Amino acid sequence: MMDYHFALKQVEEILQPFSSEVRRPQEHQIDFVMGAENLNAAVEALFLAQWGYLSAITCLDHPPVKDENGQESEGSLEVIYHFCRNAAVAGLRVSVPYSHPHVPTICNWIPSATLYERELMELFGVVVDDTPSTERLVTSDDWPEGVYPMRKTFSGFSQESR
Amino acid sequence: MESEIKTDNRFVVPIGPQHPALKEPGHFEFDVDGEVVTGASIRLGFVHRGIEKLAEQRNYIQDLYLFERICGICSHIHATAFAVAVEKLAGVVVPPRAQAIRTIVAELERIHSHMLWLGVAAHEGGFDTLFMYSWRDRETVMDLLETIAGNRVNYSANLIGGVKFDIDDSQRDAILRGIDFLDQRARYYLKVVESDETFLGRTRGVGKMTRGEAEILGAVGPTARASGVARDVRLEAPYIGYADYPVVLVLDDRGDLEARFSVRILELFESFRLIREILSRMPKGELSTRVPRRIPEGEIVLRVEAPRGELYYYVKSNGSEMPERVKVRTPSLCNWASVASLAVGHKLADMPMLLAGIDPCFSCNDRLVTLRRQDTAQTMTWEDLRQYGIQYYRGKRVCP
Repeated sequence: MMDYHFALKQVEEILQPFSSEVRRPQEHQIDFVMGAENLNAAVEALFLAQWGYLSAITCLDHPPVKDENGQESEGSLEVIYHFCRNAAVAGLRVSVPYSHPHVPTICNWIPSATLYERELMELFGVVVDDTPSTERLVTSDDWPEGVYPMRKTFSGFSQESR
Repeated sequence: MESEIKTDNRFVVPIGPQHPALKEPGHFEFDVDGEVVTGASIRLGFVHRGIEKLAEQRNYIQDLYLFERICGICSHIHATAFAVAVEKLAGVVVPPRAQAIRTIVAELERIHSHMLWLGVAAHEGGFDTLFMYSWRDRETVMDLLETIAGNRVNYSANLIGGVKFDIDDSQRDAILRGIDFLDQRARYYLKVVESDETFLGRTRGVGKMTRGEAEILGAVGPTARASGVARDVRLEAPYIGYADYPVVLVLDDRGDLEARFSVRILELFESFRLIREILSRMPKGELSTRVPRRIPEGEIVLRVEAPRGELYYYVKSNGSEMPERVKVRTPSLCNWASVASLAVGHKLADMPMLLAGIDPCFSCNDRLVTLRRQDTAQTMTWEDLRQYGIQYYRGKRVCP
């Protein structure tokens, strides 16, 4: 078994310059919060350093919340790119607002990311700029445009619309 | 009937989604030049069930059963991954005997999955005798799973916090006897796939993938290990009992179909060895521990080695009884890219073997019917297609 502490230390050195905040959600995990503009450079740095491999891309939906004054904050989508090396897991976290949900593609570095990017576009409504394929992956052909099933606000279609 | 002439000089052979050669729905389009494949595209996802969305509306205990039903072959590993992730979020420690039983069931499941695959792959290669033999022998491991769990598939061994059943002495003896028989049979299969001339004609040098290609295409599991990628989650990030009972990595750098056959069969021996070792020194003690219904806020990435490769679970809890988000990435998804790229340059007749070579398991969804006429492509919905069919047959006066 390789030492994951060492791998975590390595990735921290590589990604520190790109991130605004570093978190440790679990002992074997390290998360780097960064802006969408830094994502491509960060993935490039990981790729060139040959640190780990892309395990999956996960998206989280943070719907708008009302504060005590009744003011509604804007909803956002958080895209997490998880890279793994032995037991160490590094997450690159990019948050984008509902009004401008754009992230750059990482397929230029990792071609196999296309499936995850298609899923982001289809299920969450994230716009992945310059991604090689925008074809649907999982929803049916009569699925309406602009309805994103994995958003928290989606709770199925009404009986009439079926 | 009117002849359809292609204007762009491509000849496309569509296979699936419903096709006698495939037992699960997937759609493949192969561009061919004579017998040689010049391009391939794959469309997946005819059986998407929205499990990730469902999981957000159910509590952790219900979700355990839901995730066990993602796959009918590797059901235990899904439930294990979810249970371990939730246990870590809750901060509970599962008794060692429970972890050992989880590991035994996981390895029995790997044996069952690999033997099932061996049969399917042999069948795709036109070697039905091997298919019949391997599936007959697979019944042994299915019976063992039934003996200890009461079920042939969806064993439901896990609880969040432990396992449901113990393995007593008579069950242990039955497992050991079954493993001895399978060990002997697996030796025979290894000899067959490495020496039978007709079989080697279908596998040797076919679908070669170098280590570099496997890494770029994102291949995982036995498919990647047959190309020399030394990666196995059981070793890299040991979970359940794998820290106490380490596995030995099975690696082959030939990268062709033959290598994928031998890697999987050699992994069978490794599973036999591991089960014998665990049974010879089973820890004593409790089978489960209490876990609160409300899981404290947190998030975790948990990876396990399913029979087909790395399985990824991301679980985010929000302090309630239901998870905030669960993301599952199954190993087959990673391996599909390799098929599309390996297909080019091979004969059309090699395609079933190449597809079977990654041990595909279908778990996504898309439904689209595209009609290709002379130089137009027209997309039809199911309803359009149904109406088209009705009109067509009315015109032929086949039906009223």
